[in-house]
Amino acid sequence: MAAEQHGAWFGFGFCGFGQELGSGRGHRHQVHSPEPLRAGVDICHVSASWSYTSFLTRGGRVELSGSASGAAGGCRDAWASEGLLVVLSAQPGPGQGSGAVLQAWAPDSAMRGEPLWAKNVLMQPEREDEPGGEALAGTLPLLPCAHAYVGPRPPFYRPLAPELRARRLELGTEHALLLGAEGQVFSWGGGRHGQLGHGTLVSEREPRLLEALQGLPMAEVAAGGWHSVCVSETGDIYIWGWNESGQLALPTRTLAEDGKIVTGEATGLNESGSEVKRTVGNEDGAPAPFIAVQPFPALLDLPLGSDAVKASCGSRHTAVVTRTGELYTWGWGKYGQLGHKDTTSLDQPCRVEYFVDKQLHVKAVTCGPWNTYVYAVEKGNS
Amino acid sequence: MLPVPACSDERAGLLGPHGASRRQSRHDSTPSRRRRGTSVTELVAGQMAEGTSCLGDPPAGAGALWETLSALLPHTKEELKLDLSDSIERSVVTLLQQATELFYEGRRDECLQTSEVILDYSWEKLNTGTWRDVDKDWRRVYAFGCLLKAVCLCKAPGDATTLAAALRVCDLGLLMGAAILGDILIKVAAILQTHLSGKRPAQGVAQEQPSTKKARTDHVVIPEVKLERTVPRLHRPSLQYFREHFLVPERPVILEGVADHWPCLRKWSLEYIREIAGCRTVPVEVGSRYTDEEWSQTLMTVNEFISRYIVGESRDIGYLAQHQLFDQVDVENPDLEKFPRFAEAPFLSCILSPGEILFIPVKYWHYVRALDLSFSVSFWWS
Repeated sequence: MAAEQHGAWFGFGFCGFGQELGSGRGHRHQVHSPEPLRAGVDICHVSASWSYTSFLTRGGRVELSGSASGAAGGCRDAWASEGLLVVLSAQPGPGQGSGAVLQAWAPDSAMRGEPLWAKNVLMQPEREDEPGGEALAGTLPLLPCAHAYVGPRPPFYRPLAPELRARRLELGTEHALLLGAEGQVFSWGGGRHGQLGHGTLVSEREPRLLEALQGLPMAEVAAGGWHSVCVSETGDIYIWGWNESGQLALPTRTLAEDGKIVTGEATGLNESGSEVKRTVGNEDGAPAPFIAVQPFPALLDLPLGSDAVKASCGSRHTAVVTRTGELYTWGWGKYGQLGHKDTTSLDQPCRVEYFVDKQLHVKAVTCGPWNTYVYAVEKGNS
Repeated sequence: MLPVPACSDERAGLLGPHGASRRQSRHDSTPSRRRRGTSVTELVAGQMAEGTSCLGDPPAGAGALWETLSALLPHTKEELKLDLSDSIERSVVTLLQQATELFYEGRRDECLQTSEVILDYSWEKLNTGTWRDVDKDWRRVYAFGCLLKAVCLCKAPGDATTLAAALRVCDLGLLMGAAILGDILIKVAAILQTHLSGKRPAQGVAQEQPSTKKARTDHVVIPEVKLERTVPRLHRPSLQYFREHFLVPERPVILEGVADHWPCLRKWSLEYIREIAGCRTVPVEVGSRYTDEEWSQTLMTVNEFISRYIVGESRDIGYLAQHQLFDQVDVENPDLEKFPRFAEAPFLSCILSPGEILFIPVKYWHYVRALDLSFSVSFWWS
């Protein structure tokens, strides 16, 4: 998520622990519309857990905000979870860039004293030459060598088969998604909500290739609490898993019954027939079928046929950046994490108008479980 | 938000006398003798065990309600606490403390807001992994959130809708939470229920004259039961006889004449159930069979259930949920290609009439079809 030109970060959603999410005005617990993060801090990467956020600056400083505080320098990547803060630091001493130290900290330790766990790791040779180490930031929980990843619970160090050639790895609440060198997607872990995408509701202990996506090279993967998203090299979005708050942009019963649904034609209906818990509707315009779980990848069309380039998922919401610099969000919105100035949940992609109004070109998005951080530059600069 | 209904499990101390004077806290490690059949069952049984459980004439006005509720809660914030294991994240413990402080400081709106966060977060934990694996402390946290929310809702003067909402919150806490503070949620729910029956919600459901609307009874066909495959019957056997001939050798048997003293056989009717539990929220399975595509689980009040599925014209079949996970064989129409050995599976069958008890030995698969509008009660024990 490196930034070529200097843009700014914005945040919205849950900040009940005082984590930095915007201007920090007053004692608000939620922010419903994007607000710029305080200026003057050169953030190149954000990793947000539920009760705190970690910011990594271009200068290699990790700063914590929220239920955890503290800062440390010499860092190249950071990954925040409730039980564990994982930091990749440059190895001090001679042989600059040859190695790094992976440290797992208790979040409330403020990175002082002894970490819970530490390990020397090798960097990939080609990565060392990147200035500022920015290319590394955001790889965690995948280790630089790509032969292992860090887990939020013991065992902290989890090996990966080298033949997977992992490029990116994302962890959901119960599952894991891996993007391989050729754009193949693997998934494993808990599957009770269809989040593995293999068409079943069973768990998988080992990484299993998503056959439904074979032949479609993916550029990005993102894991939410119980759902999964990936973006193809051609800008298509595939999505699967739990849809209880509309996070798959498919019609959901809970929203319809609560009267919070935003009516409109459901786009991006899945192509395969194995949905679970679907009510049969009539031909003559009866209510659209509700989908609670989508166990196969479904193709999702954004309005106006926009191409997606980036995706990130929170616990129960989804955010996507388009090639033209727009941000779309949908799913659970109770804490303002969709950025539409309200707390409505949506089961359709909706553009975050703030960035359009301010003529900002969105470049990147990172979701915490209940909030969203966005990086954008002024139009005309991109 | 539609929570996932609970699977059956222990509810320590749900049955049995629990007057308001008993305030010692319960530790849930003592296994309960009985497990959950349906929540309405336990409500009714609880009422039965106490005899006249009503709190006398319900006082009028929100002030009186608040006084009654306050009397239930500890007087100081130090007493309103849960002893939680380390599996509960520190950030959540902080939030619980904050919520408690806000409560005792009389900051109702802020307490509600914090309780909502506690509920949303613990709800996610309750939906992580299988129900069996959910740490009991998360369920206690959830129950605590429900308690604070319910009581805060009642703090301001409210109409029947607010009371119904507070009662629903209590029921969610009872369904998915775990016992806290001497089963305080049961007591709060009982008080709210008493107050609610004084003020009927203006929904039309509760105002129906029970006598003019009868349950629809489809034409009942009593299937033939082959003599040699019939479950044997015993009339009031001694405990020893039952143990020696059926319990130990694990044989099913129907016990006759052993429930004659149960008042429910005389008392239970649609009107009576409505009267004592109509406003309570229960899980309902919708659909003839769990294998149906249309099958789903949802939550509704007993009044709603009776109106929709017993009295009403709905095409769906609704069952108060059984919380069991079955295997895939459709007993009425078995797929013998998929389950070839099912045709040879030895079985016994029977027809159970009101007042009769069927003993089902441990690990005995069983299939039940209701031939008529019925209310069955199940007990599990070890």
